[in-house]
Amino acid sequence: MSSVAAQENRRATVATTRTPASSDRPRLSRKHREWLAAGLFLAPDVLGLLIFVAIPMVFSIVLSFFQVSGFGSYEWIGLGNYRRMMNDPLFWDSMKITGEYVVILVPVLFCVSLGLGLLVKQKLPGMGAYRTALFLPYVISLVVVGVLWKFMLDEQTGVVNRAMRAAGFDGKSWLGSPSLALGCLIAVTVWVMMGYYMIIFLAGLQEIPKEFYEAAKLDGAGPWTTFRTITWPLLRPTSFFVLLMSTVAAITGGLDLIFVLTNGGPANGTSLAIFYIYQQAFGFGEYGYASAMGSFLVLIMVVLSAVIFKLTRGGRFDDGE
Amino acid sequence: MASDAMARRAHTSAGRRRPLSSRTGLTVLAVVLSLISVFPVVWMVTSSFKTRATVTDGNLIPREFTFQNFVYVFTEVPFGRYLWNSFFISAVITVAALFFHSMAAYALARLRFPGREKVFGAIFATLLVTIPVVLIPLFLVARQLGLLDSYAGLIIPAIFNAFGIFLLRQFYLGLPKELEEAAIVDGCGHWRVYWNIVLPMSRPILSALAIFFFLANWNAFVWPLVATNNQDLTVIQLGIASFQTQYTSNWNYILAAATVAALPMLVLFFVFQRQIVESIKTSGLK
Amino acid sequence: MLQHGNDAERPPRAHGTSGRDSNTSGPGLPSGTSRRRFLTAVAGAGAAAASPALLTGCGTAQAKGGNLQFWNFYGPQRSPDPAINAQSKWFVDMVAKWNATHKTQIDLVYLPQPTYLNGFKLPSAFATGEGPDIFLLSPGDFLRYYNGGVLADLTPHMEKEAIDDFGSALDSRRVDGKVYALPMEIEPLAMFYAQDVWEKAGLSEADIPTTWDQMLDIGDKLRTKTRAGLVFETQPGYYQNFTWYPWMWQGGGDVLDHQGKVIFDSRATRQALALWQDAVRHGIAPRTVPAAGDVIGGFKGGNVALWQQGIWNVSSFKAFAPKYRYGVFRLPVPPGGKYVTTLGGWSFCANAQGRNPEAAAEFCVWALGSMKDDSIDRMVDWCVGAKSDVAPRATALERGAAKGGYDSEIMKKFKDDIFPGGRAEPRYPPVVYKAISDAVQGTMLAGRGVAGEAERAAQSIAAYTKSYKGASLV
Repeated sequence: MSSVAAQENRRATVATTRTPASSDRPRLSRKHREWLAAGLFLAPDVLGLLIFVAIPMVFSIVLSFFQVSGFGSYEWIGLGNYRRMMNDPLFWDSMKITGEYVVILVPVLFCVSLGLGLLVKQKLPGMGAYRTALFLPYVISLVVVGVLWKFMLDEQTGVVNRAMRAAGFDGKSWLGSPSLALGCLIAVTVWVMMGYYMIIFLAGLQEIPKEFYEAAKLDGAGPWTTFRTITWPLLRPTSFFVLLMSTVAAITGGLDLIFVLTNGGPANGTSLAIFYIYQQAFGFGEYGYASAMGSFLVLIMVVLSAVIFKLTRGGRFDDGE
Repeated sequence: MASDAMARRAHTSAGRRRPLSSRTGLTVLAVVLSLISVFPVVWMVTSSFKTRATVTDGNLIPREFTFQNFVYVFTEVPFGRYLWNSFFISAVITVAALFFHSMAAYALARLRFPGREKVFGAIFATLLVTIPVVLIPLFLVARQLGLLDSYAGLIIPAIFNAFGIFLLRQFYLGLPKELEEAAIVDGCGHWRVYWNIVLPMSRPILSALAIFFFLANWNAFVWPLVATNNQDLTVIQLGIASFQTQYTSNWNYILAAATVAALPMLVLFFVFQRQIVESIKTSGLK
Repeated sequence: MLQHGNDAERPPRAHGTSGRDSNTSGPGLPSGTSRRRFLTAVAGAGAAAASPALLTGCGTAQAKGGNLQFWNFYGPQRSPDPAINAQSKWFVDMVAKWNATHKTQIDLVYLPQPTYLNGFKLPSAFATGEGPDIFLLSPGDFLRYYNGGVLADLTPHMEKEAIDDFGSALDSRRVDGKVYALPMEIEPLAMFYAQDVWEKAGLSEADIPTTWDQMLDIGDKLRTKTRAGLVFETQPGYYQNFTWYPWMWQGGGDVLDHQGKVIFDSRATRQALALWQDAVRHGIAPRTVPAAGDVIGGFKGGNVALWQQGIWNVSSFKAFAPKYRYGVFRLPVPPGGKYVTTLGGWSFCANAQGRNPEAAAEFCVWALGSMKDDSIDRMVDWCVGAKSDVAPRATALERGAAKGGYDSEIMKKFKDDIFPGGRAEPRYPPVVYKAISDAVQGTMLAGRGVAGEAERAAQSIAAYTKSYKGASLV
């Protein structure tokens, strides 16, 4: 705070000394003008988020204290939905699966995208084509991605099993085995998202000043040392962002793929929490119960993002300089 | 502008040479990874030339080759209309979102006002809200505002997303302050600083975000489905879904339609990715 | 513009709301209306406060008018499939005819099937009071909608003769003797088989299995690495349960008895669970259905020998693979078992909380359930013209047969051999569905113990039925 104030003073003095004419114009004080400007700049987004995100969320939390029929009738049941959640083994199974999913997906996706980011940062002929190729999966809608992989992972005719048979192995039922289906879901998600985070990493990498690398080269640093001492620390804001975004996306997303690939099966093997919530709300009309679980999920994400925030020291969050 | 000079400098300092062997290795790696990445998409494209009866046969090359799927998609279904709807909606959302988000992000990164971190925290927290949880309340809000079954209803709720604000704020925090300060010294208001200096400097990040926003909305499905009944408002992803029927799905049409839907996005990315990279170079002021 | 949009939307809704309030006497509707208003007001207040900030330049919120909305997944649409075009035309013609002869007008709204059946659309609409006035309902959803108080009683509009004409087809659509939905079709399940595969393996008509063991043996014989011997549905969902029930019923098992007592944990249940489990364990049945569930593609591609499937495929084969040779036979039975199959099929419903429930109910009866010739003929057109189904009314079945609709070998078999032993798809609510689904999935695909799963499912069904309030589950 004190540094901010100091800077404020410095700027203020600079302003008054350099442009004396401005001092006799009748107007709000500099500080208040800045407040006003900030308010106006923020107004559209803040209002929009309030109306289309915050109010619905509050509304959803309110709903979680009601028994909802799905046909317009509501009955106050206090914490009933939360008690039900606590005692619902299917919900906790789905949380466990979500946990596995996130714990595997996020690091894998992080490493793959960072690796691709480092690769496509290189200056090679035709790099534009490679970048486009790697980004390509992200362009296709998830429903179609689901259909494509469903065909490719088919037991009898799928490309993957054909290749395995050609290599002398037995084909597998990729989407029909509880032990494999979640892995397939993760793999497909990585395939879709890697290009997206690759671009984010690429942008982060490009922001690192070249002089640093040149200096490291003069010092005779190898690629690993360079990465560890320059790239990794300076990439922290981007890493934070990717980590956080992919975690949130892993917890809240994936529905479209699940619908097409497995519909939560086999044997609830891909029934992530978000899928279970969807099922309760839109399949079974249990909006109150779904809202309770949804609110709980949001709470978990708040805690998780606080942890990630702490661990990565928020990237560039606080050092506003 | 100053950025041109920067661009030239960046170009001259860029041409570093690597040993041939490592270049070859990297090229091979890039090619292999690209092939892995592209293969399913190629499969989609070739399958879109298959007939109804062979589309599920698992072959890469069609045994029975047909253009009929594409002809059908464009003649029997108002696919042009769907494309236009998606294009229009995505474009408006993208422009409006970039504008609002950059304004908000600028305020959060650069302007000083009480409760700044709290406002940012609150905006950030909206990222954690997921659509299935708030779909019903959102529908009620949209109805209350008279937004159902209209372009406005497809556009307005989709504009507001903290993701862009967050990314832009990070970007602005990293920008050097000198130019802005000089402008303020010259007596510019905050609006003019934003409009004349900050916005032009944001071009690289805005073009990257533009693609992400455009794509996300091009592929939007759930909200358009719930918020509209009017056939004239059908967006492309709903159009693709309509090829699925009760017990059988016409995968050949679905894949042809998906190919058509993906094509403009690919071109867009291919063209823009150069620009993103170029812009990132030009903005490499530090 | 926004204001305008609001105004344009108001009048019909204001009308609808008052109609709804007077209708809250329906079952399962506690005194929640005022709370709902309150909640809507909360959302509205925030929204209204913020409205000036919104871009509204492109608002085209159109007036809904007083027209009844008929949501369906058939038409109007255009399709490469002549059968689907015919189905669409049937809906369009029906509504056009109604509109030409009645004051209350109806708008036909097409929703793609996947978004209708298993999506956000219909539930969101009903949850927010925006449900369609007329809609299609599956048996699995019947109770939920009935208990939600949105199904209008169709009985006052029907003649007794017509109700008798439907006969047992109405059983699962009735509560306390009143009719709440009118079936448009009956869709029995059977085993479909590939004749060329059959013959190449040296099998003849005489080898058609009549017992479970024979079926498993033949599936085992016909399977290869790229061909599934015997296919049961694998994806969890109402549909999978629908296809599983007959195997349980055949051994005399059931979920609930006539008094509504839970009898799921039985030998017949365990035997049916074990049938699917064994078929999968021995590799006779695949863990995912071939060709991403596309029956025509799966058979034509040579990836299936036997598949438990429904009558609706007959018209698809006719459209896309007219020369393909396939056959159908009744579901085989276990030792000491009795033949049963499940009968599916959708029905027309009127929304009791819609714009004009009276007119909507009248429409449903006019369309499918009156004794007038064109009502009966309409059903004939649907079941033997646009689709390939068994007609739910005796008169329509008769006329359909007279028209030659059941002359083909396959359809004849469905009508005379497969359908007569059928039982309507049960109308169990979601919790019961989910318990059974978990048992089927857990045993079939995760290899869990048959006895444990049956017991666990029975327990959760029992816990649910104890607290269940609403219309009879059976």
